[in-house]
Amino acid sequence: MSPATARQIMSLARSDPPETRTDPSLRQKVLIRDVDFFYGAFKALKNITMPLHDKRVTAFIGPSGCGKSTLLRVLNRIYELYPGQRASGEVIIDGENILSRGMDLNLLRARIGMVFQKPTPFPMSIYDNIAFGIRLYERLVHHELDDRVESALRRAALWDEVKDKLRQSGLGLSGGQQQRLCIARAIAVEPEILLLDEPASALDPISTQRIEELIAELKADYCIAIVTHNMQQAARSSDYTAFMYLGELIEFDETELIFTRPKQKHTEDYITGRFG
Amino acid sequence: MPADVALPDLAAAKSRQGAPGDLIFRALTFLFALLVLLILGGVIVALIDGALPALRTFGVSFLYTDVWNPVTEKFGALAPIYGTLVTSAIAMVVGIPVAFGVAMFITEICPIWLKRPLATMIELLAAIPSIIYGIWGLFVFAPFVQQYIQPAIINSLGQIPGIGALFAGPPLGIGVLTAGFILAIMVLPFISSIMRDVFETVPAMLKESAYGLGATRTEVVLQVVLPYTRIGVVGGIMLGLGRALGETMAVTFVIGNAHRISASILQPGTTISASLANEFTEAVGDLYLSSLVALGLILFVITFIVLAFAKLMLLRLQKRAGG
Amino acid sequence: MAIYAQRRLINAVVMVLAMAATGFGVLWLVLVLWTLLWNGIAAITPALFSQTTPPPGSAGGLLNAIFGSVVMTLIATLVGTPTGILAGTFLAEYSRGSRFGELVRFINDILLSAPSIIVGLFVYELMVIRMGHFSAWAGAVALAIIVVPVVVRTTEDMLNLVPNALREAAAALGSPKWKVIVMVSYRAAIQGMVTGVMLAVARIAGETAPLLFTALNNQFWSINLNAPMANLPVVIFQFAMSPYADWQVLAWGGALLITITVLFLNIGARALASWSTFKQ
Repeated sequence: MSPATARQIMSLARSDPPETRTDPSLRQKVLIRDVDFFYGAFKALKNITMPLHDKRVTAFIGPSGCGKSTLLRVLNRIYELYPGQRASGEVIIDGENILSRGMDLNLLRARIGMVFQKPTPFPMSIYDNIAFGIRLYERLVHHELDDRVESALRRAALWDEVKDKLRQSGLGLSGGQQQRLCIARAIAVEPEILLLDEPASALDPISTQRIEELIAELKADYCIAIVTHNMQQAARSSDYTAFMYLGELIEFDETELIFTRPKQKHTEDYITGRFG
Repeated sequence: MPADVALPDLAAAKSRQGAPGDLIFRALTFLFALLVLLILGGVIVALIDGALPALRTFGVSFLYTDVWNPVTEKFGALAPIYGTLVTSAIAMVVGIPVAFGVAMFITEICPIWLKRPLATMIELLAAIPSIIYGIWGLFVFAPFVQQYIQPAIINSLGQIPGIGALFAGPPLGIGVLTAGFILAIMVLPFISSIMRDVFETVPAMLKESAYGLGATRTEVVLQVVLPYTRIGVVGGIMLGLGRALGETMAVTFVIGNAHRISASILQPGTTISASLANEFTEAVGDLYLSSLVALGLILFVITFIVLAFAKLMLLRLQKRAGG
Repeated sequence: MAIYAQRRLINAVVMVLAMAATGFGVLWLVLVLWTLLWNGIAAITPALFSQTTPPPGSAGGLLNAIFGSVVMTLIATLVGTPTGILAGTFLAEYSRGSRFGELVRFINDILLSAPSIIVGLFVYELMVIRMGHFSAWAGAVALAIIVVPVVVRTTEDMLNLVPNALREAAAALGSPKWKVIVMVSYRAAIQGMVTGVMLAVARIAGETAPLLFTALNNQFWSINLNAPMANLPVVIFQFAMSPYADWQVLAWGGALLITITVLFLNIGARALASWSTFKQ
């Protein structure tokens, strides 16, 4: 894709004029600083430093194996489930370094929501799926829980489709619906940050479009980081883009600038399809 | 994010809730895993403890003396050991080829719609309890063998000079051969099932390359599938052997329970487990009891070695397949 | 061309042999089941379930034996199943690659195939000698020891089938590990685990040897768990080996009962397993 075409896509995707550099509402939610990541002896992330802004969508793009999913998974320390994987450096969320040893991982993860590549509904009813995370930490009266479940399903644009079958198994939904269920489940616990790991890669184009619309709405309330191998999706949906290659952060900037005036040759080569 | 009010409450409620639960649960599962080890340890200790008097009295000669006299309190394990080994050997000789034939048929030859039902039927052979085989063997099979099979064998193989001694003697129906044969039927589903599983792991492309060169089905199975899966096949055979060695009730009913070693496999004999089953509850005298426990210890050692070997073979196969 | 003809002949012969082998296997199954039915059906009368085991030469039933078998099987299952599930959970969820876990798995598989008469001897030394008498408790413990390895194996296998993404999704919501296991992994694996328990029960339903030295037998009706208790397998053993016709008929009846139970559980477990994979 040439920069000119990219510019065309950008102007088609947005009806508003592009945001100016100095935006008073801009607030840094997460600061990733000098982060390295190791799978055993293999160094998968090298010295990553970048911010994630609140109420904005940041996309991680790059060819397979560049480390974008790895970086995403550092943010909620989900890698700690597996021995032999470790991260060094700092990830500062609201002034606190979440990579520090004393950090309570369960509490951390309750503040950060994650949606995976393939939909992962739990083997229980739709209602119980959404309520699962809520029940972990809150003691709610019956109708309060009902309200929270409904609210989460509404915000995930799934309520109308499932309101009559809340007690049925989540496994009975279509792929796109299951993924929206997982999104509803993640936002039901009212996190501050949402991590989306290629959320639409297993879905058909129509479901993909609905997910993207959903992300645009959710942006108003959360700091969102999304990994995608689909450049057009990144260009459409995100405010900021990080281009990664072989474990390094090559370039980070406003999405419009990345796609129209990339500073690094490597970025330009990737965006124009010369590799990857 | 809606309702910032929720955040302070959540923060308080979310404190340290999971940590003690995790510790307790992990400790609990660890304890019960440890219990599995302790059970085995307990078995070994209990057997050695019970066998000690006999072992101290008779020493190593217990293993190769053929005597079993509760009156004079002289005991030697040779007859039961011999019986155990011979019946298991017969079970293997008959069972392995049949199991192989079944595995080959189900995986390579039979039509798809027949696979599941056939496999289930063969597996049901394994589900039938040992005592059922015993009672069937005593009332149905042994008389049949006595009337038709044994006379035939005696009149044919029994007449050949030399090996004829192996097939001599009056047709009693019960005996070592009958017991071995029933054992074969009992272990063939185990061996066949493992063979089937490993045959299915052979990559289709490998077989297709052989067929593509014009090989017959037999050739593909014998020259491609079998070599590829030989470790698993050996493991399965060892597993079947382990089962045969330890089988009790079926053997007890049809082996005749004679503490002696005969040259002829048509004669009665005894195995370790059959001796235990028959004599344990009536054994009087500490040395008698201890000798029986010593038999149990010997059986345990033999089966442990065979099963450990089988497990190691199957583990090696897994490692190679799983990478 | 002569070589080709020979190859084809060999192939045909081997095929026939393979088919014969399979027929051979199925034949014995049919034979055993048929004679069981033929001989045992005569004993299936109401008296079988209402009268206790008789002295030689008179009529009776198997009530005390059935009761004893049911009770001991139940206790063994109640004791062995949680033990097996927890140990299997340890192997699947906590012991990734650890030496200890490998050892437990190895030993468990040995116990799985170990002669059941050895288990009987073990419990004899452990409980019967210490207590000074045979008892249903000892019998139940012996059966429980046979149940545990089966349940450990199936629990571990089923939990290993649960996809990691599911665990990650629960952990990503901030769930502590034990809740991930109990509320997500177990639920995902429940069908397989139930199948495992059914197969374990089918296995102990017919086990004789472990009961020979632990629960022994009891001619009379007894609900005293602290004393020898009648059970189907040992009764069958005693009656079948005896010269009395009445007893032999009862033995066949008991054998038929056991076989029906075992086949029912086995086929039921298979049906459950294939139904669940079909559903998903």
